[in-house]
Amino acid sequence: MEWELRLRGVFDPEILIEMESHLLDAFDDGIHHGMDQQEAQQQALVRFGSAHSVARQFFLERQTMKQKLLMIAAVMFGLLVAYVDTRPTWDDTGITVFSLLLGGGIIGLLAQKRPWFFALAVGLWLPLWTILKSHDLAMIILLVIPFFGVYAGWVLNLGIHKLRQTG
Amino acid sequence: MKGEALKGHLDLLLLAVIETKPAHGYVIIELLRERSGGTFDLPEGTVYPALHRLQDEGFLSSHWSESGGRRKRIYELTPRGKLALAKHQEEWNRFAQAVNSTVGI
Repeated sequence: MEWELRLRGVFDPEILIEMESHLLDAFDDGIHHGMDQQEAQQQALVRFGSAHSVARQFFLERQTMKQKLLMIAAVMFGLLVAYVDTRPTWDDTGITVFSLLLGGGIIGLLAQKRPWFFALAVGLWLPLWTILKSHDLAMIILLVIPFFGVYAGWVLNLGIHKLRQTG
Repeated sequence: MKGEALKGHLDLLLLAVIETKPAHGYVIIELLRERSGGTFDLPEGTVYPALHRLQDEGFLSSHWSESGGRRKRIYELTPRGKLALAKHQEEWNRFAQAVNSTVGI
């Protein structure tokens, strides 16, 4: 189990203590119900499920959580860039573009799925503000920058993932 | 019932079980099985990732206690968890009513 968890990047010794305690309780329960030691041990393990499936479930649950946090980070980053860029004293478009590309790239690298959603979370705010202010719908074109950044990161992530699988 | 069929409802079931009393994983799974008359018989190990996620989301809190020389993590519902449970229950009632009306129960 420890190896299966480590394989998926889950390092938490308390999980193992919890699992061990569970299996011992299940074993005691089996004995209490008249099983012999081998039978009780076997049943406890079967009912618990394979180490592979439990570790995989931990990995998937943690990924879900991480993706939620990443979405919050993407929205906050997008809002920050939009805020800075719309200050009257700010006139460095190059830095704004670079920030959206780099930030979008990092978010794309960490995103597991739906990169378009993350790209919108990063990039929607600046064009939205500009459109509301100037009523110029053409400003929606600004979305191209975060989309490019996020998809570049996402493709890189896929590449790394494939390399790991083949390597 | 297989885990796949429970997907999406596991949070409601776990929160509802833990609401009755703070408990450790083994007891929670036993209560889940008992209260469902044996219908919810999941691979037990797969419940722990869900418990940990619910804790990460702030719906459960936990502390360690020792009994019979074994360390056990006791889970209990947080105020946020109570709100989430109420919301899940409301959604479930709506869903169940809609299904019942549709199939004519």
